Amino acid sequence: MKCEDVKNSLPLFLYGEMSFEAEERLESHVDECDGCRALLKRERELFQALDAAEAVPSAELLAQCRAELRGRLGSVEPEPAGFWNRVRDGFSIHFHFAPGWPQVAGAVAMLVIGFLGARMTPASFPGSFRSASIAEPATSRVRYVEPAGPGRVQIVVDETTQRTLSGSLDDQSIQRLLATAAKDPSNDGLRVESVNLLKSQPQSAEVRKVLLYAVQHDPNAGVRLKALDGLRDFADDPETRQTLTQVLLKDDCPGVRTQVIDLLIQHHAPSMVGVLQEVMGKEDNNYVRMRCQRALHDMGASAETY
Amino acid sequence: MDESELIRAAQRGDQRAFEQLVRLYDQNVLRMALNLLRSPEDANDIYQEAFLRVYKNLHAFRFDCSFHTWLYRIVTNLCLDALRKRRVRREEDTVVETSEGYLNRMDTVEEGRAHGDPQRQLMSSQLRVRIRQVLDELTPRERTVFEMRHYHGLRLRAIGEMLGTSEEAAKNCLFRATQKMRAALGDFV
Repeated sequence: MKCEDVKNSLPLFLYGEMSFEAEERLESHVDECDGCRALLKRERELFQALDAAEAVPSAELLAQCRAELRGRLGSVEPEPAGFWNRVRDGFSIHFHFAPGWPQVAGAVAMLVIGFLGARMTPASFPGSFRSASIAEPATSRVRYVEPAGPGRVQIVVDETTQRTLSGSLDDQSIQRLLATAAKDPSNDGLRVESVNLLKSQPQSAEVRKVLLYAVQHDPNAGVRLKALDGLRDFADDPETRQTLTQVLLKDDCPGVRTQVIDLLIQHHAPSMVGVLQEVMGKEDNNYVRMRCQRALHDMGASAETY
Repeated sequence: MDESELIRAAQRGDQRAFEQLVRLYDQNVLRMALNLLRSPEDANDIYQEAFLRVYKNLHAFRFDCSFHTWLYRIVTNLCLDALRKRRVRREEDTVVETSEGYLNRMDTVEEGRAHGDPQRQLMSSQLRVRIRQVLDELTPRERTVFEMRHYHGLRLRAIGEMLGTSEEAAKNCLFRATQKMRAALGDFV
């Protein structure tokens, strides 16, 4: 690789958009060429300057946008879903009309006839059972079914009725419910919202446990980032630091790792030097490496271990 | 509910599901609009228009691509249109005249990813002003690609898909953008 090629490739190199082989060639060249090494250093500095120029929306602006949108949604009607969409939604299955679609369409049509036939049958049809309770706002699960004489059946249904609770965020019973919701594995949106609410109460040791759990175990990076935000003021707490260190070394999301570095270096603890040097040794994301390097530089430490 | 369940519920008219869906993405949408347009009012306009379009057209979303890609396609098209109009009207300056003299509206916006970052705090206001000028001098397309790659960490392939172009074209755009910035900021960095 020639110097001119290196110069032209530096942005793609720093963005991690080069192939493995091309990256290897560039790194080999830079190792041996003082001029290109200086160019790379300048390019990194340029990237850092650009990072710092990013505008971050204020919480007030976000709240204003959300409130305005909520108001406007009330006066806007979504376009009605087409007939086929409604049929598809009825079954919660999405068909792709690829080759052989007439057969699929035929199958769907037969299902629709059966479905509509059942829906149009009068509820007071002699001998039918009442089904209204199943349609009420409760989650139901059929536990088991049992024949009950000719043409009849007995069905045992588990039902969970819904109720609405309200209370202050510093109320422990509310926090316990939010803590449960923050661990619901089936609902990302619920976890995001619950952690977002809990993060305003990090002074509670129980809440901090939930946030630490989310940072370590939640599969959704958005939830992990919100939990990290809640731990910002407790970055010098030994348990929090220990957990954050583990996250820094294991988390697969560069955004999370970057955020953890920002939290851990707030207090310039000497114990962080070794951790950051370890990260430098294994980190494959250029941006995270740059943050580590900068943190080590600010702490007066070398980026490498000898 | 996971994302696809939220989308299906919103397609059936469940407004709470739609709001949850909005909250999964709206911070990034607002951040992108604010960085591209450098005006909180314009960023709010893009936010409203983008999510209203999503709301009106969600029935047409067929899961052919990810919701993320579909949403960003809407947002980037709106931002590109706004940037192009602004170039035509030459209204690129965010400085407004107030009773207390001239005020740059972006001075009221928080900057940088991390609080307490010493390098950011030490960065001269002169350099910040120059970076803004250089960003304003990029073409709308270059600026959008740069924003998506540098600040949102999106891969060039995804950016190409969102802008309806190839990965190679997105790469060329990014290359031109970084070249221009390097040339313009050489004396500062």
